[in-house]
Amino acid sequence: MAPETGEMRKRTFVVTRFDPDKDQVPKTQTYEVACRPDWKVLDALNHIKDEIDPTLSHRWSCRMAVCGSCGMNVNGEPKLTCKTQLADYGEVVEVEPLANFPIVRDLVIEMDGFMEKFKSVKPWVIVAKEKAAEEGPNRQSPEELSAFKQFSMCINCMLCYAACPVVAKEPHFLGPAAIALGHRYNMDSRDEGAAERNEVFRGEGTVFHCSYANECTEVCPKNVDPAAAINQAKLNAVVDWAASFVVKRNG
Amino acid sequence: MMESFRHDVIVVGGGGAGLRAAIAAVEADPKVTVALVSKVYPMRSHTVSAEGGAAAYVEGKGDSLEKHAYDTVKGSDFLAAQDSVDYFVEQAPLELTRLEHWGCPWSRNDDGTVATRPFGGMAVPRTWFAADKVGFHMLHSLFQHSLRFDRIVRYDEHFVTKLLVDDGAVKGVAALDIRSGAMRMFQGRAVILATGGAGKCFPFTTNGNIKTGDGMSLAYRAGVGLKDMEFVQYHPTGLPGTGILITEASRGEGGYVLNAEGERFLVTRDYGVGQKAELGPRDMISRAEILEIEAGRGIKGPYGEFVQLDLRHLGEAKIMAKLPFVRELSKIYAGVDPVHEPIPIRPVLHYMMGGVDTDVRGATPLPGLYAAGEVACVSMNGANRLGSNSLTECLVFGARAGREAVAYGRGASDGQEARLRAAAEEEGARIDALRGRKRGSEKIAALRSEMQTAMESGCGVYRKQESMQQAVSDLARIKSRYDDIALEDASKVFNTEILAALELGAMLDVAQAIAVSAAHRTESRGAHACRDFPQRNDRDFLYHSMVFHEESGPRLDKKSVTITRFQPEERKY
Amino acid sequence: MARASHPQAMTPHRPGSTRTAPPQVPDTFWSQPRMRTYLLFDATGIPYLVLGLIVLRVAVALGRGPEAWQELMRDFSNPLYLVFHAIALISVIFVGVRFFRLFPKAQPARLGPIKPPPRPVIHAGLYAAWIAVTLALLVVLGGLWP
Repeated sequence: MAPETGEMRKRTFVVTRFDPDKDQVPKTQTYEVACRPDWKVLDALNHIKDEIDPTLSHRWSCRMAVCGSCGMNVNGEPKLTCKTQLADYGEVVEVEPLANFPIVRDLVIEMDGFMEKFKSVKPWVIVAKEKAAEEGPNRQSPEELSAFKQFSMCINCMLCYAACPVVAKEPHFLGPAAIALGHRYNMDSRDEGAAERNEVFRGEGTVFHCSYANECTEVCPKNVDPAAAINQAKLNAVVDWAASFVVKRNG
Repeated sequence: MMESFRHDVIVVGGGGAGLRAAIAAVEADPKVTVALVSKVYPMRSHTVSAEGGAAAYVEGKGDSLEKHAYDTVKGSDFLAAQDSVDYFVEQAPLELTRLEHWGCPWSRNDDGTVATRPFGGMAVPRTWFAADKVGFHMLHSLFQHSLRFDRIVRYDEHFVTKLLVDDGAVKGVAALDIRSGAMRMFQGRAVILATGGAGKCFPFTTNGNIKTGDGMSLAYRAGVGLKDMEFVQYHPTGLPGTGILITEASRGEGGYVLNAEGERFLVTRDYGVGQKAELGPRDMISRAEILEIEAGRGIKGPYGEFVQLDLRHLGEAKIMAKLPFVRELSKIYAGVDPVHEPIPIRPVLHYMMGGVDTDVRGATPLPGLYAAGEVACVSMNGANRLGSNSLTECLVFGARAGREAVAYGRGASDGQEARLRAAAEEEGARIDALRGRKRGSEKIAALRSEMQTAMESGCGVYRKQESMQQAVSDLARIKSRYDDIALEDASKVFNTEILAALELGAMLDVAQAIAVSAAHRTESRGAHACRDFPQRNDRDFLYHSMVFHEESGPRLDKKSVTITRFQPEERKY
Repeated sequence: MARASHPQAMTPHRPGSTRTAPPQVPDTFWSQPRMRTYLLFDATGIPYLVLGLIVLRVAVALGRGPEAWQELMRDFSNPLYLVFHAIALISVIFVGVRFFRLFPKAQPARLGPIKPPPRPVIHAGLYAAWIAVTLALLVVLGGLWP
């Protein structure tokens, strides 16, 4: 059934506002918006920006749940606002910036903390000897592909960081998306860098901070299942650590 | 004192072409540093939304480089520069292989080799794919690979507002740090534009919010010509209203396009696609859909009329294996499960064949300025692009531009810092004056909407001289009203209203270039379908149209087409 | 409508060019149902700690001889011990069920040359092993055998 049917509906949006040059702390501002029945939360925010209050800042781009820009907390839950139907909500919709991140302005959060953790797991193919393009592609069976494919689906929307109770309390924790990405490379048959990544996984941001709350998986819009990745990574990290006493390694 | 950064090469835009150019530049010379300046974090670039696949010659399937080149040139309605097509088809398999080495999870055959699928206008199935999220996987693989290089220095969320030209060559850019609102100066020997197309000039587009033609406007204002702007591609299968892309791969895997009566009109009626039916080239299928709708065989909906894409006969297993993202998008954004119901679709603006005038090296006529990807017009796609060629294009010409920019930089000199700084400071003052400028009577959103309406009626799938001329004059008026916009947000920190204003300025430049080019071309070729002149006219119009910026309005010119192997013939499938 | 996270949560090492507001969570973050279940799951550590202390006490009593043991048996007839053990049993089942649900997906697709069995098999196997061990212990500790 197409969602465009139905009536326009007036809703009240309670939106977090923060301008560091004017505000000591974040506050909220309320907007009344007449919403079309098929609108997502993002459509309402864009309407507010275009027609009601051009000073509202928020990130968005693809509007089809693949770029990861538009993550925010809606009525307390981390959501991709381009994918979140207003039809699922009542009259009042609270929109806050993504939880657990420092707030730059209104609904825009500081992303560089995530980018640092992201880079620290060395999310690239590590091989002893690089191949030339002329040698052709590596072979990889569909089974080998499926060992990591799910974990490669992450759009870096950071909803998992907004849901994780450990991220809320432990600033060093690498976090779900970064670990899932590192694990994705560890499980890729073309990669030879698991030893290096497992050292990172046992380091200051250790995967063992995770206590399997599974909230990350619950909120992930792309079914990456980061909780599975983290807990698989724990096993790999332990086995790798034990093996390092038995098998001599380079570098 | 304005902050200044010096790098050998400055890449503007962090999508497929930009990242590939940055990687190529640092690999070309171990001493080179690259500034990657993007208005969004690179993984947000619109490359991420591409779904279908990337084409390259494959061994052992009866394919050849010549066949790929011929398909591309024929698809372009013989307007493509054949020397660059030859370079492209030769480099394509190497580039896709490199991406595989860098971790891209290409879908596989049972024997472990890379799988390929049929695609529109391709004689042989040569499109590599990664389920139906190839752009996502390519972009993330490229971005993650680029993180290895400390010499690629990223300046995320920096909006380039002006090219800095000194002594007749480009020597840097002025960019707004979106976070702090401060203008910053970047100095370098070469600048590579990789900012993508300008789909947001149109009301219904597959493109995301960031596709606003910023790079095209930068080059245009610096005196570089925009080439073949009239050729904009309407993708035949976009969702009505949102314009969200339903990949061509859904037709490649066997989907049918139906009218309101459930008729497979591409087969039962003569729309020039012959045996290829749903796998004909995009311009022909888009036109067929519009004609069906005009004949009264479309379905009415709240966002206009549409036709249908039927995947039911493929079965749930095949859809979940090959087109899972299509199913997800249909359910969330059209309220339809393609396993049980046909998907509503209509032509939506998707890609711009035209762009900044470059040659096969990615070089523009302005020394020090390069361009690659959708922002550029080499021209590889001529009057119509074949699906799955553009992702490969980003890689091939991104890499070439990166290498050429480094080679050029060795022989070039730095600009004079004092002069560059003066230009950057002037630009900073201009932005500061615009930010929060309350006096003015026009609203950004209203002008944007009017521009989009003008483009829809003047430069649609089918065009008429009268409506194109109307669009030209409407856009000229809208452009003059742009100088009178009022801005509410005076804050410096993460001010997105001023970004919207700057983006609207760029879009108006691009929209005007499109409309003016379209109005002058009194023939039909590729994606430019003129109702008053339905035939292709090689005698008078076998050239690239050029548009140059002038204060009094766009100035038109011509550029000859490089034809080597394939002489223009009738384009029949 | 929010409360503070750790003040350095997700904060980059290099500070950004503007002042930020500290990271926060919504008011419902800690009280929403799934989070409450998870916190309860973590809180079962307390009954286990107490159980451990009780086992220690049993061991010490065993070492001290029959009088200490009789005293222990008298203490154990206090109904509070029964209540505590009932809570501990519920905790064990709660944790077991939750852990068994989450355990199968925590097995990597391969560990070197070893591949795990399919997830439903692991899931069923865990319950089978749990029930078998429980029955075995009941039989032995209940004095039925040997």
